[in-house]
Amino acid sequence: MFGKGLFQGLGITFKRMVGPNITEFYPEQKPVLPSRVRSSMGLQREKCICCNMCAMACPNGVIKLTGEKDEESKKRVLKSYHMDLGRCLFCGLCTEACPTKALTVTQEYENAVFEADDMKWDMIARAERKGKEG
Amino acid sequence: MSIDKTEELVLNMGPQHPSMHGLFRMIVHLEGETVTEIEPKIGYLHRGIEKLAESRTYTQFIPYTDRLDYLASPHNNWAYVQTVEKLMGVEIPERAEYLRVIFGELARIASHQVMIASTALDIAGWTAWGYAFRDRERILDMYEMTAGSRLTVNCMRIGGMSAEPPAEFWPALESFLDDTPEMLEEYYGIFFGNEIAQGRLKNVGIMPKELAENLSITGPVLRASGVQYDVRKAYPYSIYDRFDFDVPVRYGCDSYDRTIIRMDEIKESVKIIRQAIRDIPEGPIMAKVPKVIKPPVGEVYHRVENPKGELGFYIVSDGSTKPARVRIRPGTFVNLQMLPIVAKGWKIQDVVAIFATLDAVLGEVDK
Repeated sequence: MFGKGLFQGLGITFKRMVGPNITEFYPEQKPVLPSRVRSSMGLQREKCICCNMCAMACPNGVIKLTGEKDEESKKRVLKSYHMDLGRCLFCGLCTEACPTKALTVTQEYENAVFEADDMKWDMIARAERKGKEG
Repeated sequence: MSIDKTEELVLNMGPQHPSMHGLFRMIVHLEGETVTEIEPKIGYLHRGIEKLAESRTYTQFIPYTDRLDYLASPHNNWAYVQTVEKLMGVEIPERAEYLRVIFGELARIASHQVMIASTALDIAGWTAWGYAFRDRERILDMYEMTAGSRLTVNCMRIGGMSAEPPAEFWPALESFLDDTPEMLEEYYGIFFGNEIAQGRLKNVGIMPKELAENLSITGPVLRASGVQYDVRKAYPYSIYDRFDFDVPVRYGCDSYDRTIIRMDEIKESVKIIRQAIRDIPEGPIMAKVPKVIKPPVGEVYHRVENPKGELGFYIVSDGSTKPARVRIRPGTFVNLQMLPIVAKGWKIQDVVAIFATLDAVLGEVDK
């Protein structure tokens, strides 16, 4: 019968209309993301050994870091760590390359900014501001 | 005074247009509502990915392959890493091969769901759009919990996989596979069984078998024209020779068959994933590859069956850490050449339907 398919489709629509809601009410209810989600980066300064592996793993040259030798412990310590998020692919190759897991992915996804310069992150300042998690 | 002949009208569609998948532009010559000529214009999404490869190391290029056919990014990863592995002669662990098959077939299902949804949307079936996207979300969640990203998954590495799926991945996968028959029934009920959708798609944009073969069409578009060709069967790569599955073929050669063949392919993908879950061994997921990847001097070509057609990578190595040349053979770029030939003589609304059934992703076409 011509038109049967139309009514069948309407039936499905009505069934779903009374069914459970599947949408998320985003700004009010924030989703909990799995721990592997690469939506942001975090640095734990004391773990970093300034080996430059993250900067070398990056396809786009996002990471620039400098270190200096600590006279007391004779170890290299981090002096500055900058990331230009505007060029970041969020591929996670830097965190995979990090031998001490000083640089890790984090699940903050609200990274929108108004100015292009705000995408240049000073990771040490961020880590100090946000506490241990970075 | 009577008007019995209209002047030719030149209409520009795109690059930004509601019925365009990405940035594709076509200049349509019309006689009334009938199309007399189409000039496709591509290149609006050109990012020079092949050139970028020459200034990146072999591993650094993997995230860029995600950005080719972004609806099935594990497949692009797969094609690229297998090409480099072929060049280096690396054997990868069994478990990684099975995981690659599972992710590849999940990507095929997700890509076909988008195709069904966007075809419905292009012929003004707004309701049907939401159903396929709702179900695709579950696949994206599985990518997310394993590899950490939803669209540009970047889940494969030269020598294996980037990460072992977490414990909650397997129940999620099982329940998704269990729900697929119901999903497909719903897609059929809301879209394929609908008389309006059938009226818009059936016997529209006929591409005969000979034409499809002459144009080097691949993928579901070719199989809907009655040619049984699938790289997974014709030239088995990875471990596809171990699985029992059929290659769906349809003989209608029209837009309806080009769309509904994706439903058959989803069923076959579910069959493959079930066998892979049954047979997957325990073990490592990464082969022992050197930290700095330096393939020997030489060149290699490798192809896989992408959800949209045959995807090939041609890599020339000069023995350094960066490829000397990477050439990508995308399925939809080649498939797109049927549009000006097949769409000629159809009405302007049929052109939109014919273009939709090609399932073109311009990230792959423009590169």
